[in-house]
Amino acid sequence: MGAFFFTAPLALAGLLALPLIYFLLRVTPPRPRQVVFPPMRLLLELSRQEATPARTPWPLLALRLAIAAAAVFAMAGPVWRPSALERSSNAPLAIAIDDGWPAAPSWERRAQAAQTMIDSAARAGAPVALLAMSDGALDVSAEDGATAQQRLRSLRPKPFIPDRRAAAARLAKFAQAHPAARIVWIADGLEAGEAAVLGAAMKDAAHNGAEVEVVTDAHVPLALASPANTASGSEVEVLRAAVHEPARGRVLALDAKGRTIAQAPFDFGAELTTQARFDLPVELRNDIVMLQIMGEFSAGAVALFDGRSRVRRIGVVSGAGADQEQPLLSPAYYLDKALAPFAQVRQARAGVADPTAALLEEHPDVLALADVGLPPGETHDALARFVEEGGALLRFSGPHLANAADDLIPVRLRRSDRVLGGAMSWQTPKKLAPFEPHSPFFGLAVPDDVSVARQVLAEPELGIEAKTWARLADGTPLVTAERRGKGLVALFHVSADTAWSNLPISGLFVDMLRKISALGGEAGARRASGAATQDQASAPQTLAPLRTLDGFGVFGAPPPTAKPIAADFSGRANVDHPPGFYGAADAPVAVQTLAAGDVLQAMDYSTLGLRRQNLGVDASVDLRPALLAIVFVALLIDWLVLLLLTGKLRQPARAVGALCVLALVGAMAPRVAHAEPPKSVASPRDRDAALATRLAYVVSGDAHVDEASRLGLATLSRVLAQRTSFAPGEPASVDPARDELAFYPMLYWPIAATAPQPSALAVAKIGTYMKQGGVVVFDTRDALTARRGGPPTPETLWLRDLTRRLDIPELEIVPRDHVITKTFYLLDGFYGRTTNGETWVEALPPEPEGDAPRPVRAADSVSSIVIASNDLAAAWAVDASGEPLYPLIPGGARQRELALRGGVNLVMYTLTGNYKADQVHARDLLERLGQ
Amino acid sequence: MITTHALSSAKRLAARARRVDAADLANRLPRLVAGARQLAASVMHGVHGRRRAGAGETFWQFRPFGAGEAAQRIDWRRSAQGDHLYVREREWEAAHSYFLWMDCSPSMAFVSSLALDAKIDRALTLGLALAEVLVRGGERVGCLGLTNAMSARDIIERLACALLDAGEATTRQELPPPAALPQRAKAVLIGDFLCDPQSLAERLRRLAANGATGCLLTIADPVEETFPFEGETEFLDTDSSAAFHAGRAQSWREPYAQRLARHRCEVEEAAKASGFASSLHRTDRPAAEAAMALYMRLAAGVEPR
Repeated sequence: MGAFFFTAPLALAGLLALPLIYFLLRVTPPRPRQVVFPPMRLLLELSRQEATPARTPWPLLALRLAIAAAAVFAMAGPVWRPSALERSSNAPLAIAIDDGWPAAPSWERRAQAAQTMIDSAARAGAPVALLAMSDGALDVSAEDGATAQQRLRSLRPKPFIPDRRAAAARLAKFAQAHPAARIVWIADGLEAGEAAVLGAAMKDAAHNGAEVEVVTDAHVPLALASPANTASGSEVEVLRAAVHEPARGRVLALDAKGRTIAQAPFDFGAELTTQARFDLPVELRNDIVMLQIMGEFSAGAVALFDGRSRVRRIGVVSGAGADQEQPLLSPAYYLDKALAPFAQVRQARAGVADPTAALLEEHPDVLALADVGLPPGETHDALARFVEEGGALLRFSGPHLANAADDLIPVRLRRSDRVLGGAMSWQTPKKLAPFEPHSPFFGLAVPDDVSVARQVLAEPELGIEAKTWARLADGTPLVTAERRGKGLVALFHVSADTAWSNLPISGLFVDMLRKISALGGEAGARRASGAATQDQASAPQTLAPLRTLDGFGVFGAPPPTAKPIAADFSGRANVDHPPGFYGAADAPVAVQTLAAGDVLQAMDYSTLGLRRQNLGVDASVDLRPALLAIVFVALLIDWLVLLLLTGKLRQPARAVGALCVLALVGAMAPRVAHAEPPKSVASPRDRDAALATRLAYVVSGDAHVDEASRLGLATLSRVLAQRTSFAPGEPASVDPARDELAFYPMLYWPIAATAPQPSALAVAKIGTYMKQGGVVVFDTRDALTARRGGPPTPETLWLRDLTRRLDIPELEIVPRDHVITKTFYLLDGFYGRTTNGETWVEALPPEPEGDAPRPVRAADSVSSIVIASNDLAAAWAVDASGEPLYPLIPGGARQRELALRGGVNLVMYTLTGNYKADQVHARDLLERLGQ
Repeated sequence: MITTHALSSAKRLAARARRVDAADLANRLPRLVAGARQLAASVMHGVHGRRRAGAGETFWQFRPFGAGEAAQRIDWRRSAQGDHLYVREREWEAAHSYFLWMDCSPSMAFVSSLALDAKIDRALTLGLALAEVLVRGGERVGCLGLTNAMSARDIIERLACALLDAGEATTRQELPPPAALPQRAKAVLIGDFLCDPQSLAERLRRLAANGATGCLLTIADPVEETFPFEGETEFLDTDSSAAFHAGRAQSWREPYAQRLARHRCEVEEAAKASGFASSLHRTDRPAAEAAMALYMRLAAGVEPR
């Protein structure tokens, strides 16, 4: 394999067809243009002497053969890959290849480079030694190319950075054995793993006469470190070894099944470290198992979340009560502040009768009770069950607890008359003793300034030593805890506020709470998975590897070399402890590839003074597009030549112009055919109607009546705007068959007997309108002509015909106590031009028996139909100068005013419904409240 | 770009082509008949009567009686008005026989993109229009070798039917049929005359053997005249399967023009030798132009010699 090769060399067999093409082309000249020509006889007489060209002209022949050959070559996929790594010398070759995780993203190229070098050495017959950094302990021996290739193929990047010291020693030995060897170090670019030692070994070898090179890759490894799940969000540090583009990227958060939960962007800017942050709900963040830099496939670009980093949900209940005047002195306040950095704190809503029970409903991991006494009862039992099932109960003492101790505490409390209020006051505040190894707080520094002035005392009894997690300098237990069932009960013998000690305002308090909540969280997680049978006390102190990452950052079964970790393992992964999850499947412990505080330090190869090469991104050049372009251009040329030869191309310029125009049209065509923006469905009229609430009347078809309706509603609108807070827009005329009715709260429908009945569609629309809450005010305007008991008037008949097609409930004449008579004015009836007509509305439900008579009755909803007969609009209508248009019967300004008041009530009834029915009871309600 | 177009496929098998052609002519005849009517009307508009003394019914003029004339020719009514004797002359009304021949050979079924009409269309239109005009003028017209000379109002339809009914062997000839014409008949031959000039001369001699005269109208497509071809071109014949491949067609323009001029010259010679007038009509010119010229030429040619 050289710098130039074919990806599909079999296609070159197509070249065999070239002679055939040559023959065929030679005997089939381009077809001339054919012309029918009647005076052939004359032409034939002339043409005795000239012979026609029967052969294809040779330049055309050559061009066509070149096209065919180029096409065949293009099919074979020619690739030009210049490589500086090849060397045809028979000096022994040693390849030191970094196989830590930083090499993983560019592993393909590294392996390819090594392959190229091994191939060229094998061709030259030189022995090859392949030295992987992780196999530093193995001896380096020169072997033949095939063996080296096999070893190369079996190499995979490791999920940690191997120590190069052993490899450096081996390499030095090899260099001594083969002083003229060619030594190539395919380096990962990081200093971690003692790269300087290997560099020194290489330099020594160069001094001894070896030909030494360092091959690096342009890819700068990225890594994630110190993932943290805090109460407010998940954060992870993103590291890189050098300033390099692209400076931005994304971090993926994946759950246990590898599904992406979220993405978070990061931007290095000019820095080497930055942060990615996930702002997600706690429930989602607790599902995150691993974070991964998108597109960076290495173990270093993966950060793991285990059970310890779950965000706990901690419920806090304060015995001091919710209505405390001074919230800053409340124990809950201190607990909230101390827990907030790492947990989600829940407090019961103010006013809940039993905050403890309410918080238990929310399934917290830990429940912190600050000075809450637990009398036997449902709450006590629920708490006991909560602890049994794995919850952590964290209690703080205080006056309540000291007075009424219950059994949900780890130790018995001493009751002593000597101690005021059940708690003991120290003469001088006591300091804390260092934590003992069996305590979960072991390892936390004890600050000097924490002192305890007052506390409850534990009854000395058997086993109290084991239950004590923290004690004072004189040995008095300060924090005691006990496992119960799957859960945990812990007691701080001081209060959660600063009354008894200053512990709650120290940093130690936060750390202690964090430890306790972690324990509680594990128990909670186990409780959630329901698979926990193990007791923590009997849990092994070492954790076996469960699932580990490989060098590419993919989970798999742990390698046989992986060893268990100690329970308190912290630090970066190494050869014995590959990164991944350890321990039980339900509560795994994560080992990160990078420890907290790690930085990626780029290796500076320039100080070594070695020859340096770059792997490059991909130097290979695919020649296929270029060849195909040549074929295309040559075909065009061939076509033009043919046109010229057959005389069809008389004006080359014109043809070229036409080609250009064609190309332009082809390029523009897709742009021309763009979709027209969809038209708005709403008409301008509907838009106006929707923008302002307005009264509407139905066009009767009688111009006289319509004019009266329009002017009447205009007057009513003006009166409404003057007297009420409702300022309607200009009244609208609607045709139920054509217009959308949904915009109008009320339709005024004066009935003209001469008008045609509305169509079925219009009736259906009116029915829908009424069902959806609209009010239709029919006005038969026949109070003058109608006679009680007499034959129905034409208007009434018309309305009957219409209502027969509508779904109309039972109607009644407006009763005196109907809410419609009281929505704005207190009215006796609805007057228009006449006063004797009746007004009908939907019948109210019958008054309940036995109740005191109410001043007002209302149904649950607005009556969808009102039938008036007094010609309301005509009474309202005034002309432009404010003069009434129609005379009233019997007449008078009072009647006109009452008519308008009726209109106002109608509109108010439409808009406010039965609200006034409640308001008129206000006095009764107030009286009742007073009792 | 000039395109040429034979009315049926250029490369054809002889038998099949004929069938196609006959149908083709039948299809196009109605259109041609209509065109001929129109053309005849336009020609008649410009020509009226003979305006010549002769053997007719209508009065032409009085002229003084010449010495030696037959005494019964004196018009006594006119002569009684004065002292001189007058003779009443009538208009010349002798009916002549005209025989038309329209070339329907395959070489006529040709049209190029420069022409207004196919050659055969133009020939038939001209011939039928001429027949109509002549019949209206009182002459009798027939198809040479197909019909007798007749004077019918529907002369166009009759001639068209005769052309259709005629056997293909007759109509496909590129030379006029070797029929002898009556003594004072006139022959009107319309075609492209791309035939051998010798045989044409021989046929004309046969036609004129009894003293008949006439005229030749050569219909030519502009492409045949100008030879506007360029580049590599293959020329196909209409009559035979002959083909001619020209590497550079433009180089043949000059020799062809000379050869065509010589051919035209020979055709004219042959016509002249038999007392036929000859003229040329290109299909890129309007048909009325040729019709009028032909008619005037005929009218002039019948002057008693």
